[in-house]
Amino acid sequence: MEKTLIKTESAGVKYFLNYEEGAAAAPRGTIRTLLERKKRKEFWALRDVSLEIRSGEIFGVIGSNGAGKSTLLKAVAGIIPVTEGEISVDGTIAPLIELGAAFNQELTGAENIYLSGSIYRIPRKTIRENFDKIVDFSGLRRFIHTPVKNYSSGMFIRLAFSIVIFFKPDVVLIDEVFSVGDAVFQQRSFEKMLFFKERGAAIVLVTHDLNLISQICGRALVLSRGKASFLGKAEEAINHYLKLIKSREGLEEDARRPEPVAVAAAEDSRRWGTRKVEIVGVDFVDEKGNRKNVFATGDYFEARLSYVSHEAGVKAVFGAAFNTIYKMLIYGPNTLESDFPDSLPERGTVRFVVPRLPLFEGDYLFSASVYDPGLTVAYDHHEMMYFFRVVSRGGRDFGCVRIDSRWEIVSG
Amino acid sequence: MKRYLRELIQYRDLLVNLTLTELKLRYRNSVLGFLWTILNPLFYLLVLAFVFSRIIKFEVPNYTIFLFAGLASWLMIQQTVTIATASIVNNQALIRRVYVPKMVFPLSNVFSRYVDHAILILVLFGFMAVFKAAFTWSLLFVPVAIVLHFFFSWGLSLITTVAHIRIRDVQHVVAILFQILFYATPVIYPLDVLPLRYRPFLLWNPFYYFVECFRFPVFHSSLPPGRLVLTALALTVVTFAVGFILFYKKEKFFVFHLS
Repeated sequence: MEKTLIKTESAGVKYFLNYEEGAAAAPRGTIRTLLERKKRKEFWALRDVSLEIRSGEIFGVIGSNGAGKSTLLKAVAGIIPVTEGEISVDGTIAPLIELGAAFNQELTGAENIYLSGSIYRIPRKTIRENFDKIVDFSGLRRFIHTPVKNYSSGMFIRLAFSIVIFFKPDVVLIDEVFSVGDAVFQQRSFEKMLFFKERGAAIVLVTHDLNLISQICGRALVLSRGKASFLGKAEEAINHYLKLIKSREGLEEDARRPEPVAVAAAEDSRRWGTRKVEIVGVDFVDEKGNRKNVFATGDYFEARLSYVSHEAGVKAVFGAAFNTIYKMLIYGPNTLESDFPDSLPERGTVRFVVPRLPLFEGDYLFSASVYDPGLTVAYDHHEMMYFFRVVSRGGRDFGCVRIDSRWEIVSG
Repeated sequence: MKRYLRELIQYRDLLVNLTLTELKLRYRNSVLGFLWTILNPLFYLLVLAFVFSRIIKFEVPNYTIFLFAGLASWLMIQQTVTIATASIVNNQALIRRVYVPKMVFPLSNVFSRYVDHAILILVLFGFMAVFKAAFTWSLLFVPVAIVLHFFFSWGLSLITTVAHIRIRDVQHVVAILFQILFYATPVIYPLDVLPLRYRPFLLWNPFYYFVECFRFPVFHSSLPPGRLVLTALALTVVTFAVGFILFYKKEKFFVFHLS
């Protein structure tokens, strides 16, 4: 029964960076881009990764942004070809990489069930037999003959997920799927994953949620700059990863390095603005000014936003925001609420200080931004581009943020 | 290669679904719906037939059938290739997120086009009855001609598709080339209106052989000369082999050129 389902042998994926740059810099196809094609930079998104994943195993993959996690998953799914080495997968693959990717916007929900089914190679007969169950599970019976372009994003995902559930995959690839949908949906996906495992599927899970990894994964791989930095028991992998991000090297990788190729589009969608004032760096530091990105609940926390203003005497508002890794906003303050100078020095550092960090154990995303005083024009917005981790000091309360509170009892 | 073909067969449901989706969506929300598949080329045909049989007179008996046969052959190649060229680029969202053999995209385009063409050819037979053209045994060659057209246009589509992924101008260039070639191919005019000194150039036009292969049984009520058929066959085999192997070798890397 314990069959090896996924096997990679010194797998490597090489990108050529300018494929994307060319598209962004000049309209594709101009004579210039044609001539410049030769000047392309190589970039190894993944290098020398060897793994064997067996049936009934839940395998975690952790690493900073741009460490190659998604590339690994896409290479296993066969979406991206390996440049060197080999990857072999035995059985059917359910790539839960971007749910709903298989949908055609113009088709109705019902038509999309059949279309997606054939994309995942589910026999038509199986879909027909399970059609009612799929519709019921999604809870979309009333809308099933409506084109999916009219669906809300929640409905979209519910339908996509319901389809995948009714097909019996041997290999399930999950890339932060739990970061979409509401809590109920997350719970459901979680249960479904355990169910797949019971049935003998191999599950590869990419997530920033280290708790989830330690809860359900047996083994995990730590990727760092495309290379396997650690492979072994999940607990040890997490410790290794924490050490990695605590060290300066890890930090650099997280906050500094621009996302390479595959995520270049995402990079754009996470950063926007006129750049009249530009945020050139964001660092997290402790009270002594040492850079770090692991804090404990109740610690002093400071974010330093270094900026450059491209015009003298600009008035601007700085903002910051904390999000959970599920992208839920926890708190988003800005400098309008405090005594903040009206006009800025041309370059400097804005310090955002939290004297006692009220966040609980977990991973958090941090946004930094600078806007015009009316908050209508973004000068430079970095949406959830930064990441830090909070470790626990113990305690018996639960949640993600500590709210100042007390308990009282009144008799009678 | 064997594995590649076996995989394509495993994805036949997808192929069918994509083909049906395309046919279904094209005329959704339109009143006349699928009728447009016939009406569009038919109006084109009527305009050309009027212009060239009433205003500029070609000495061709039963010109409408002559024109219809040429046009049917021409559209089989021109429409198929023009549409299929963008097949990969149009499906890039999917290709970047799920693994499917990329061949299903151009092939489903080709299939759905040939459904249209088949309907159009049935209408052509109707016209033949109305215009009292001869129905002879040579019409049995029509399916053979269609198969030649099918593989030739499929192969040609694969070449233009691969080129279009690299350079997005290809689709426009293809459209323009077809416009020019339309007049360089004896679709609307019979071969003998061409001055003698231009005729050798026609031999270099691959589309000439396909138009003639199709027109012979329909219009001349005879089998096309063997030389014509063999040339068309050779063109088909070479074009298809080049297109298929090119696509097969490159399809893994498409994803790097899509965004």
